[in-house]
Amino acid sequence: MFPFRLPAAPHALALALALLALPFLSAHLAGSVQAHEGHDHGAPQAPVSKTIAPRGEASSAAFELVAIPRGDAIVLYLDRFATGEPITDAALEVETPSGPAPATPEADGRYRLPAPWLAARDPGQDHLDLVVTVTAGADVDVLSLAVALAPARESAAAAPTHAEHASEGWMQGLKERLTEKFAARDPGAGLFAAGGFALGLAAMALMRAGRRAPVLAVLVLAATLVLGATAFAHEGHDHPETRAAFVPPPTDLAQRLADGAVFVPKPTQRLLSLRTQVAAEGAFRRTVSLPGRIIPDPNASGVVQSSVGGRLAPPPSGTFPRLGTKVRAGEALALVTPPVQRVDLSDMRQRQGELDQQIAIVQRRVDRYLKLSPSGAVSQVQLDEAQDELKGLKDRRTALDRIRQEPEVLTAPVGGVIAEAAAVAGQMAAPGQMVFQIVNPERLWVEALSFDALTPAADATARMADGRTLPLAYQGAGLADRNQAIPVQFAIQGGSEGLRVGQFVTVLAATDAEQHGLALPRASVVRNANGQDVVYAHTAAERYEARPVRVAPLDGSRVLVEAGVTPGTRVVVQGAELLDQVR
Amino acid sequence: MLIRRFVTAGTLAIALPFCAHHACAHEGTGHHGGRIVDAGPYHIELVTKDRRVEVTIYDAKEKAVSPAGFKGTAILVVGGKPARVVLAPSGAGLSGEAEVALGAAPKGVVQITGPDGAAASGKFN
Repeated sequence: MFPFRLPAAPHALALALALLALPFLSAHLAGSVQAHEGHDHGAPQAPVSKTIAPRGEASSAAFELVAIPRGDAIVLYLDRFATGEPITDAALEVETPSGPAPATPEADGRYRLPAPWLAARDPGQDHLDLVVTVTAGADVDVLSLAVALAPARESAAAAPTHAEHASEGWMQGLKERLTEKFAARDPGAGLFAAGGFALGLAAMALMRAGRRAPVLAVLVLAATLVLGATAFAHEGHDHPETRAAFVPPPTDLAQRLADGAVFVPKPTQRLLSLRTQVAAEGAFRRTVSLPGRIIPDPNASGVVQSSVGGRLAPPPSGTFPRLGTKVRAGEALALVTPPVQRVDLSDMRQRQGELDQQIAIVQRRVDRYLKLSPSGAVSQVQLDEAQDELKGLKDRRTALDRIRQEPEVLTAPVGGVIAEAAAVAGQMAAPGQMVFQIVNPERLWVEALSFDALTPAADATARMADGRTLPLAYQGAGLADRNQAIPVQFAIQGGSEGLRVGQFVTVLAATDAEQHGLALPRASVVRNANGQDVVYAHTAAERYEARPVRVAPLDGSRVLVEAGVTPGTRVVVQGAELLDQVR
Repeated sequence: MLIRRFVTAGTLAIALPFCAHHACAHEGTGHHGGRIVDAGPYHIELVTKDRRVEVTIYDAKEKAVSPAGFKGTAILVVGGKPARVVLAPSGAGLSGEAEVALGAAPKGVVQITGPDGAAASGKFN
């Protein structure tokens, strides 16, 4: 089947494979070694996209600076490193090729550095090295800034190739083209590789057979093929420079890059008001969320009930207090006049008649005793007794009258606001019926149902349907079971405006269990297109990267990132939703 | 036996490039006891003594480069204020005098401009 002896096959195969692998391997090794030789850590990164203007950025512990050449000036944007807050009132002193020059702040929050020397630069220069001294309040920092420059037209054509790199460049070019073709699943590349392999096998077989001339012929053929392929590839392949000529001028639009990161230029960052926070690891109490309901503070609320059945009448002020009226403790809210039954009425009339009659008799006796007492015919004792009897009878008569006329006054037991009013003039109130409910709106509680016992000193917050949160202080928990849960009461701390009794809230109460992770504001976690929770890390001045995270609820306003973000990462805490919309 | 040899070779093959990578990021102490950082194609060493600033330029292979044709500027933060020092060739390096006494290790940036007019700077923290 094959024109050579079988035992030679493994050797030939190994050699052929080695030959094939060599360019890739050498290029790879050369790349890693070159990192030092080329020594280009100081050079600015190439623009991430063709539609983004060349720029430079620098950062320190305090500041983040971006510089963009625009015509004959350089526009600078200065922000706080940790928060991303723009600094608009700093003093910037820039070390330019023509000496130190200040960058002047402009109305829109950026700084402008006139750069007439930009036009006179060496066309071969691809970047500009600036040193910027930033003074913002008490913070002083010196930043070294390498600004990439748009390649000058003539420099691209005249870019000299160093002699010692020529062969390496050719190899590199061949490798790149091959990789490209493989990546594009070009059948030509496959054929090329297969051809090389076959030629290698043939050369090996002939060498084994001891024939020199055919080996030479095969090698010459191989060289011709390789060179020819390069030449063709060269012709068919577009130069990056010529391709670049058709690219529209950079517009600096916010965009999602091929690697999934988001490029947001500084002006857009300011428009979206993006802010970051340096994520710090800490220990946090785990929270449980409980269904809760707002209740009035038992010590600052009360009900007004009638103790007797009777007819309701407005208080002496003339009107019943309306809903929402503020009342003081002890204020009269309504009157209840107990009705007198017909049989009681006749009984009372009868009693009244009797009393009147007795009063008349005793009155006459007292009068008579008064006349006789000075002469000693009636003893003083008799007179006193008669007077006492008269007084007693009169008192009983008055009491009888009062019972018929005097209503019961309903007063406010506590100060507060009328939360419920069921009073209508003339209405018959049953004994024990609630006429008014008074609630102090400054003192409201939350009652939540907990399925496990909470630690008494634990802090808690209540989250409302509209996203507001209320700090809560633990008051106590019941022991009596209610729907397989125990009621836990919390007092609302601070302002309780806009709350109503009976409103449902979600109580987030801390438990004993501590969790380690990074606490971030709830708004910093967004959901991406495939439903995964991500946060945006601010990795470079204008670059944001989505990091998938695992989050756990922490409290009303924060979430705990358990995995996905390392401490020290700058995480977007404001505007993450808007950032997520960038396509 | 064979397996062990393979493992050793593999480990070396993986570890060597990493070692090389670390070696090239050589922040540390230089030949004159100063701090060394990268600045474009060069390495520069900064030594501050009282008010005097001395900068030595090395190439990528840590060989001293003649300062002829170079010029430089050092901006160092001293006591919360920036001090700008113009550097000129003197002896084996660039040097200059600051207006105030500099500490032993002030933070700042040294910018050097080569004979070809290209500027490079190194940041000292």
